[in-house]
Amino acid sequence: GDGTEFVVRSDREDKKLAEDRISDEQVVKNELVRSDEVRDDNEDEVFEEAIGSENDEQEEEEDPKRELFESDDLPLVETLKSSMVEHEVEDFEEAVGDLDETSSNEGGVKDFTAVGESHGAGEAEFDVLATKMNGDKGEGGGGGSYDKVESSLDVVDTTENATSTNTNGSNLAAEHVGIENGKTHSFLGNGIASPKNKEVVAEVIPKDDGIEEPWNDGIEVDNWEERVDGIQTEQEVEEGEGTTENQFEKRTEEEVVEGEGTSKNLFEKQTEQDVVEGEGTSKDLFENGSVCMDSESEAERNGETGAAYTSNIVTNASGDNEVSSAVTSSPLEESSSGEKGETEGDSTCLKPEQHLASSPHSYPESTEVHSNSGSPGVTSREHKPVQSANGGHDVQSPQPNKELEKQQSSRVHVDPEITENSHVETEPEVVSSVSPTESRSNPAALPPARPAGLGRASPLLEPASRAPQQSRVNGNGSHNQFQQAEDSTTTEADEHDETREKLQLIRVKFLRLAHRLGQTPHNVVVAQVLYRLGLAEQLRGRNGSRVGAFSFDRASAMAEQLEAAGQDPLDFSCTIMVLGKSGVGKSATINSIFDEVKFCTDAFQMGTKRVQDVEGLVQGIKVRVIDTPGLLPSWSDQAKNEKILNSVKAFIKKNPPDIVLYLDRLDMQSRDSGDMPLLRTISDVFGPSIWFNAIVGLTHAASVPPDGPNGTASSYDMFVTQRSHVIQQAIRQAAGDMRLMNPVSLVENHSACRTNRAGQRVLPNGQVWKPHLLLLSFASKILAEANALLKLQDNIPGRPFAARSKAPPLPFLLSSLLQSRPQPKLPEQQYGDEEDEDDLEESSDSDEESEYDQLPPFKSLTKAQMATLSKSQKKQYLDEMEYREKLLMKKQMKEERKRRKMFKKFAAEIKDLPDGYSENVEEESGGPASVPVPMPDLSLPASFDSDNPTHRYRYLDSSNQWLVRPVLETHGWDHDIGYEGVNAERLFVVKEKIPISVSGQVTKDKKDANVQLEMASSVKHGEGKSTSLGFDMQTVGKELAYTLRSETRFNNFRRNKAAAGLSVTHLGDSVSAGLKVEDKFIASKWFRIVMSGGAMTSRGDFAYGGTLEAQLRDKDYPLGRFLTTLGLSVMDWHGDLAIGGNIQSQVPIGRSSNLIARANLNNRGAGQVSVRVNSSEQLQLAMVAIVPLFKKLLSYYYPQTQYGQ
Amino acid sequence: MGSLVREWVGFQQFPAATQEKLIEFFGKLKQKDMNSMTVLVLGKGGVGKSSTVNSLIGEQVVRVSPFQAEGLRPVMVSRTMGGFTINIIDTPGLVEAGYVNHQALELIKGFLVNRTIDVLLYVDRLDVYRVDELDKQVVIAITQTFGKEIWCKTLLVLTHAQFSPPDELSYETFSSKRSDSLLKTIRAGSKMRKQEFEDSAIAVVYAENSGRCSKNDKDEKALPNGEAWIPNLVKAITDVATNQRKAIHVDKKMVDGSYSDDKGKKLIPLIIGAQYLIVKMIQGAIRNDIKTSGKPL
Repeated sequence: GDGTEFVVRSDREDKKLAEDRISDEQVVKNELVRSDEVRDDNEDEVFEEAIGSENDEQEEEEDPKRELFESDDLPLVETLKSSMVEHEVEDFEEAVGDLDETSSNEGGVKDFTAVGESHGAGEAEFDVLATKMNGDKGEGGGGGSYDKVESSLDVVDTTENATSTNTNGSNLAAEHVGIENGKTHSFLGNGIASPKNKEVVAEVIPKDDGIEEPWNDGIEVDNWEERVDGIQTEQEVEEGEGTTENQFEKRTEEEVVEGEGTSKNLFEKQTEQDVVEGEGTSKDLFENGSVCMDSESEAERNGETGAAYTSNIVTNASGDNEVSSAVTSSPLEESSSGEKGETEGDSTCLKPEQHLASSPHSYPESTEVHSNSGSPGVTSREHKPVQSANGGHDVQSPQPNKELEKQQSSRVHVDPEITENSHVETEPEVVSSVSPTESRSNPAALPPARPAGLGRASPLLEPASRAPQQSRVNGNGSHNQFQQAEDSTTTEADEHDETREKLQLIRVKFLRLAHRLGQTPHNVVVAQVLYRLGLAEQLRGRNGSRVGAFSFDRASAMAEQLEAAGQDPLDFSCTIMVLGKSGVGKSATINSIFDEVKFCTDAFQMGTKRVQDVEGLVQGIKVRVIDTPGLLPSWSDQAKNEKILNSVKAFIKKNPPDIVLYLDRLDMQSRDSGDMPLLRTISDVFGPSIWFNAIVGLTHAASVPPDGPNGTASSYDMFVTQRSHVIQQAIRQAAGDMRLMNPVSLVENHSACRTNRAGQRVLPNGQVWKPHLLLLSFASKILAEANALLKLQDNIPGRPFAARSKAPPLPFLLSSLLQSRPQPKLPEQQYGDEEDEDDLEESSDSDEESEYDQLPPFKSLTKAQMATLSKSQKKQYLDEMEYREKLLMKKQMKEERKRRKMFKKFAAEIKDLPDGYSENVEEESGGPASVPVPMPDLSLPASFDSDNPTHRYRYLDSSNQWLVRPVLETHGWDHDIGYEGVNAERLFVVKEKIPISVSGQVTKDKKDANVQLEMASSVKHGEGKSTSLGFDMQTVGKELAYTLRSETRFNNFRRNKAAAGLSVTHLGDSVSAGLKVEDKFIASKWFRIVMSGGAMTSRGDFAYGGTLEAQLRDKDYPLGRFLTTLGLSVMDWHGDLAIGGNIQSQVPIGRSSNLIARANLNNRGAGQVSVRVNSSEQLQLAMVAIVPLFKKLLSYYYPQTQYGQ
Repeated sequence: MGSLVREWVGFQQFPAATQEKLIEFFGKLKQKDMNSMTVLVLGKGGVGKSSTVNSLIGEQVVRVSPFQAEGLRPVMVSRTMGGFTINIIDTPGLVEAGYVNHQALELIKGFLVNRTIDVLLYVDRLDVYRVDELDKQVVIAITQTFGKEIWCKTLLVLTHAQFSPPDELSYETFSSKRSDSLLKTIRAGSKMRKQEFEDSAIAVVYAENSGRCSKNDKDEKALPNGEAWIPNLVKAITDVATNQRKAIHVDKKMVDGSYSDDKGKKLIPLIIGAQYLIVKMIQGAIRNDIKTSGKPL
């Protein structure tokens, strides 16, 4: 792994396997399981990603590649899979320091079968992956699907019952495999309970006479270990032979035993395989005290290839709840396990969740994760979110199974409480906690919410990958919220009936689409979509939990009927927009979709010059495709790209596409993040949301995979997987959304591409790509429709969880409330600010009043005279001068103050006089101001600029009542000219008593514009009491916040002033209210302290905060420059406590230097320290600049050293 | 220098037919008194430079991985056989995130100091349809770094040669079109005059590094047209090495010379002098003004 990515590969140096049946031609499939971190711990968000992969191969085409490539080296069978867990270290940064741990996080399932080559430095160890679930499956031919469906449904029911009835958490997972026409079929079932993995390996090699089965019969545990190690599924199909049927059944039963300390270990495995009869059964009984596992796996194989499917879900929620669900290949069930750390590091709590999948078919399902923070069982927050549930079990030891055993022996206790949680009905959950044995280095922690993974290569159907998108689209990114809301609205269940009907219609429509494309409901994508629809339904109404199976039957029956009747036109059309680099085959793909030449293509020239669209029927389904000119990859071409994309944007304005198909070549290894510029441009032009509905298409899918690291051939599937991973990753980055998981579809437009009997093009892995691609697109559209339907409901007024409603940023509002603002004053009091506070100093000042006058006369020297002085004399002179200056300033200040006081008194007297007189006074005083005078220069922060741009910001102070000023943003994007806006303010006086100040500010930088408007007025009433009322309007994010606030100040005491205030803010569609109390204590002339505290609430959400500010200043402030301030702030929101403190100190050093030190720190450990020294004296410092000059000069003299060898 | 010169073990792994041909070519070189030859391999990332090197040497000398860029710095592989030494310098890809990776080029140049490049293999893929701006920029960058003479010592290697061209195009048509468009780019990027370019006559060689490359009856890796490509490539290399043009010697001057900030540094004192004079002049003029107009305001 390099830096950011950690790839665990499994090498199989496994002796046994190696000898037995691994031949060079075997292909390894790797599955990547990727886990992402959930970003925000505080939010319970569940991300779901699952990847399922499916591999369908049809029997007929066994010799696919050979024809094409004419080489014998091609992998005959692609049944081998190995799963790799790939971690992205960066994602885990927060959570796990240890890679090993991280790797264990995800339960990766690993099967590997045979690896022809060793990856990665030939290490013998594999680090493995906990298995969550594996399903290995091939698609059976068309027949017999219904039987299976039903039976699996039954299974589901039983499981559900089991879980819901037994609170102790015994779950029975049954799996069911029905295989009718399999040729070979291997089947892997992994149940996962957190720490444990179960992996069953079945290996079947059909030979002429039968199957060799090394471990057919009951296996003892010891043996089991070894076998399991390399979990392998191998299938070889020999050509020209009749089909072999194998059936495997696997069952896993698990009981959860309650009680700590007890360990139960039952490990039974039975594998029966009867090749002759075509049936092989492996039974696995795993009983672990601690874990509940539900696993079903079913594998069917018809083709040479098995499909492997793994899905993992990692959920990460704020440490409290996590569910990771593992999915078995059997469609219906998912078991998820979540682990929680309990008080001790090693104890883990698993909370498997099962979801019923509404779709019956045996394909692997996507996994889903729900976070239920509200569930009672889950309260501990100790975990870091990103640890893995599966823990190290499998990992780190070459023999994963041993660990399994250990795990089995580990004590388990079940937490009955959890089963009682509110979600039981809809999602049976069993939580058990397991304390793993000491041998495990890392007790699992929580699995981060994201599973991921790529599916096994070909299929890439990755049904589950839709999950994240969907949740986003629905606006219920946090399920938590969603569920809560549901709880509160149980009574509204009736309303859902209508919705359900509509959903049902959508389902029927989709089944018909699938039917037309020749896909059975077993297809992974189909299953996935159905599952999601069912899930959505369940989420909608609590009583709808069992609707899934029922409505599927109905739907499929209806769909069949409608299709058979042939009437009732399908109301469906799909618009696909194709984007991609130049020359990847966009136009060619479109031609392939319609099976005719719609657009001409040219291998060497830019074939498509402008955006154009074409409409046509594919299998009777209306499809519209928008073709776009090719984009260019290099940075320098991005302007061109932008132009192209803007024209595309204009084109699609009227008729936006449902799906974006981003094409790239499978056989181009765009490493070095070469596509990044292009992807970013797309994101910039269309917005990152374009990726939410995007499918990645890999053209040239029939190309030969490149050689592996040591020159041996690598498998096609692995190649596809890796390649799609690279692109998905790039898209994630470009979209800035790490949850994104675009489904991948393969495309091959070459005319020489192998075809099946029906004339459809078939990829080397046996996939018929076109229906697949279309199905994916339609699935997206269908899901979008369903989302629209559900979203509609979300918006029912009065519901607090309306889509996209955001909680207002309470902390932000609170801190602006806590800010202490000066009250507006009457103009004649404007400069009296200080006075109030300085009252208490007054008396002491009077003594020194005449100090300046008492000084002996002093004659200032001219520059020439100064030059003649000696050093010490000069110093003395300057000191004296400084002292005098200080005194003078003091005196002036005092006089000023006195004058103001007099004026105040005078004004008070005037008020008693008739009005006319007072007006006169004002006019007089206003008269001389009518000539605009330049305002003092702004002080700019020190910079390294050669010139001082202050002059650019000069402005006049005119007599106009409106004071208009530029807004200078010193840290703005343009440091040269920092104007970013305009500020206008004005002070009115109403009834001569009530000052009203209005100020508005508009700033605009390259990114966004901000408006800020503030109106305030204050009224004095009673002695020392004043109330101010204010109205603010400002932009917060993209919205305007309107705030009405009022504050009352009590100035009754000299040393202590209190204030209390209220505020109401309207932001977006929410209203928040706040309350604050403030107290200012002036201890002495040089020390004062301001404390304030407040609370803000909105929609039942509270934030509390407080600030404290203490100031220590020089005795004769503002003349003395010494100043120290200490600030503390505390904010509590959602139980998340944020404490920050800062201290700043300004100390004069000598005459012309100043030291400013500043430090701040918050409770997250982030802080900053800065020390700055200003000096106007030490010119020598400038000499530092000479150093680099010298360096350069030196390099001329000793140049050779640079290139020393 | 640097890497060790080893006996060419991988040579034995070539099929007999290939070995014979190679020995013949090297023999020719020896006749011309060339006992060693240095081949520099350049190209964009992921086109198969390292794989080509491995194929040429017959061993897995450079680590190759399909999905990551392995080499971040140049690597020299030296093999000697019967007194003849071949040095092949593998380099990192020249394109990074949509830009030409000038840093990599600097590295390569630094690595090459005091070496002589006999042949440059410019590698690209055959099975790509378009030539874009980036290709041109790569060529320009190479030209700026090594001078345009380098193109006279260049061999265009197109990898992934075992591939079936898209519709209605024969393999020959496709490959000639593809190489033409690349050659055109090279000409444009190197700013060579037409005549000059034609004289240099950059040869094109096709290569297929995949382990799945089909083989001919002599067990040599062969192209779709039946030719064994490794001997072909070596032959082309020897041809270029022995063509009448001078090999490119990378010396310090070439390495340093292209620092733009060193260009014209001798002018610096002159300019300073000129500035001084101008300032003096202006000052004089101001004084003059002041004198003539009496007191300043």
